[in-house]
Amino acid sequence: MKKNIIIVLLLCALLLCGCGKNEPAQSGYTVTDMTDRVISLDAPATRIVALSASDCEILFALGAGDTLVGRGEYCDYPEAVESVPSVQSGYETNLEQIIGLEPQVVIMTKMGQTVEQVEALSNAGIAVVVSDAQDIDGVYRSIALIGSLVGKSAQADALCKSMKSSFENIDSKGDGTETIYFEVSPLEYGLWTAGSGTFMDELASLMGLKNAFSDVVGWAEISQEQVIARNPDYIVTIAMYYGEGATPVDEIMARAGWQDMTAIKNGKVFNADSNEISRPSPRLVNAFESLYEFVYGA
Amino acid sequence: MEHKGGKKEGLSVLTYIALSVFTLVTMLLCVCLGSVSVPPDELLSSSIILNVRLPRVLCVALSGASLSLCGAAMQGLLKNPLADGSTLGVSSGASLGAVLAITLSISIPSLPFAGTMVMAVLFAFLSLIIILSLAYKLDCSLATNTIILIGIIFSMFASSMISLMMYFSSDRLRDITRWTMGTLSGSSYTNALVLLVTLALCAAVILSRASELNAFAIGEDNARHIGVNVRRERLIILIAVSVLIGVCVSVGGTIAFVGLVIPHMVRLILGPNHKKLLAASMYCGACFLMLADLVARVIVSPLELPVGVVTSLIGAVVFVFIFFRSVRSRHA
Amino acid sequence: MLEVRNLTVRYGSSTIVNDVSFDVARGEWLMLVGPNGAGKSTIVNAISKGIPYTGTVLFEGKDISVYKPIELARRIGVLAQGQRVGYSFTVGEVVRLGRYAHKKGFFSSGCDDDTSVRRALEITGLTEIENQSLLTLSGGELQRTFLAQVFAQNPQLLILDEPTNHLDLVYQKQVFELICNWVKEPNRAVISVVHDLDLAKCYGSQSLLLDRGRIVDLGKTEAVLSQDNLKKVYSMDVYGWMRERLARWSD
Repeated sequence: MKKNIIIVLLLCALLLCGCGKNEPAQSGYTVTDMTDRVISLDAPATRIVALSASDCEILFALGAGDTLVGRGEYCDYPEAVESVPSVQSGYETNLEQIIGLEPQVVIMTKMGQTVEQVEALSNAGIAVVVSDAQDIDGVYRSIALIGSLVGKSAQADALCKSMKSSFENIDSKGDGTETIYFEVSPLEYGLWTAGSGTFMDELASLMGLKNAFSDVVGWAEISQEQVIARNPDYIVTIAMYYGEGATPVDEIMARAGWQDMTAIKNGKVFNADSNEISRPSPRLVNAFESLYEFVYGA
Repeated sequence: MEHKGGKKEGLSVLTYIALSVFTLVTMLLCVCLGSVSVPPDELLSSSIILNVRLPRVLCVALSGASLSLCGAAMQGLLKNPLADGSTLGVSSGASLGAVLAITLSISIPSLPFAGTMVMAVLFAFLSLIIILSLAYKLDCSLATNTIILIGIIFSMFASSMISLMMYFSSDRLRDITRWTMGTLSGSSYTNALVLLVTLALCAAVILSRASELNAFAIGEDNARHIGVNVRRERLIILIAVSVLIGVCVSVGGTIAFVGLVIPHMVRLILGPNHKKLLAASMYCGACFLMLADLVARVIVSPLELPVGVVTSLIGAVVFVFIFFRSVRSRHA
Repeated sequence: MLEVRNLTVRYGSSTIVNDVSFDVARGEWLMLVGPNGAGKSTIVNAISKGIPYTGTVLFEGKDISVYKPIELARRIGVLAQGQRVGYSFTVGEVVRLGRYAHKKGFFSSGCDDDTSVRRALEITGLTEIENQSLLTLSGGELQRTFLAQVFAQNPQLLILDEPTNHLDLVYQKQVFELICNWVKEPNRAVISVVHDLDLAKCYGSQSLLLDRGRIVDLGKTEAVLSQDNLKKVYSMDVYGWMRERLARWSD
């Protein structure tokens, strides 16, 4: 279980590192991925294995879902992706399974790969493309990268444009004085929040809110006392509700010692969809819209 | 000093007072200090203190006392200085029980956490029985190496069972185990009360068996020869230890190091006599875990460290220090 | 006092003690003698309930399995062979544990207990090192510590497995004289395993000669340790060798 913490810490470290800043080449069938690796293909890819959920979502959003011949085990959106054969991803990435699916390209994140794995895949004649968005800008680049990979750059452009306009086209915007607290894991398992460098932080600042834990980097375990002392105006939890016991919102409202907080008094507690709000996928727009609705009303 | 007359073997009243005062001071310190600083005049009215910090400090103190007591009892019972909930696989067993309860949705109506707790206690006890009977089959003298080896193997088995269950079960379990099995950060007064009652009952059972534990610590055969009902006493102590570890795990997750090292340190200072060792271990365990938790809470504020990281860090250093000092004084 | 009937101890497929029966009466000191592997210690272990056996062992006419452990400990004291200690208990703490079976209430540690402990420490010559850790003791001191514990236990029947192991001559003599006097008090008896045939002959009122788990002879020590018996069991001229050794000690 401690391992999980290490993984999260590693993730935070990676978040800090940032990623390649080069614009991917749009011409022909040579693409530069997000670690500046140049990949040449004879034609647009038609057989793809995507290991991260967000890349699967992007493929489907571009109308290229049919190119998927394999997906990471945690890919679950849209529903159609469930019929694609699932392969083990992450630290236990199953190379034999992937090679057996005979893809032309494997799309993975920086974290989900080791040098040995990339080498083994290259030796099997499979191109490895890294899509590793750490912010909304990165998501645009991921979309462009995947678009050019499957020969759908126009659709990719359109998708990015529509996302941009959704983010910018808002009626009201805060002045950065109101604070919002994102809760990644509930009290029962130790409080974890999303600090700076996360999508939640970025979405909040897009609508003029200040992340109450902007001094924290990435996802981190924080002190309950600090949450109470910082007294945020809004509380957003991304806990899942499993249909029994108190809902995540009710549980937060009922916490001992939290009753005097502004957000609790005003009933400003919201349960966001954890996948929408934490994945670098086009659905960040949905997360943004529901968050906006929660803060400013419909 | 106090037992020079040979009549009194336990701690003197003065020692008890000193230990109690030290524990209370530590507790006060841990309540006053925290990630958020509260002005002294608001200490008694602050919601942070009353609703967040105090219940947590209480739970931490009670867990520390419980784990140390269990460690001391098992180290004596098995005549094995390496015995502890974590080294024997009892904690992993308890975790397995808790996870099983969550997977099978075993719950007792109106007592939401009781299902997990009962399963944790049950599995802690089952693990102990399995580990000990395996060890007996292999080596009836219950040698240190055998028992630790089996404990480690059982720990691994329990962990892989948990992973296996996570693999096949709902997202919910994946969620629960992702953030370590429980933590003391969300402690409530209810948790503290449960711990207090359990500790009071089990400590009464264990402390009243100080003579028996002394006999076991000298040797099981010797215990039998002087008239200890070996089978019965061992079972009673094992049950008390399992209940205590099971409840601790279900409230605060597995905290390593406390149960192993605190009794060891106390033994180096006060000697192995359980009439002193058990009570002193409880006090020291409570203080140690409270201080470790304090460090975990404040050192990287507003972030929090898992308390296990701190217990291992401080514990290892303090242990080496005491160990060297006691070796040197023995040679001097 | 003690009646052993058809005692048989098996370990796996091998029979360590085969159908052994004997009695120990008040005031007797029974020596269990025989070569290595004869089953002497196994008999002691069976009676002191360490290992499973078949047959019956009666103490004062009642089967020993009927007694509660604590009742038995008030009547039978056992000194086992080869104590291994792990923790640094003091000599006094170990000896005081001998009073375990006699403690009356929860916190009682009466003067009765204390005098027994003092006396046990005294007669074993341990008073000086009462507060010393077991880990710092010599083999002899350790043996005397556990002997003192059995004395503190104040039983009627003393079962000793190699009581003078690790002891130098002074203490060998002392311990045997001690037990010799102890058994003279009314209502007491001793069973001991000894290797040293000299000591068996000197102190044992009765002897039980064993070979490969079976009784070779049982009765008065004089008769049991006869030239023929010993020759048969040890396959050597024990008497001859003893005499030869003694001859060297003449001035």
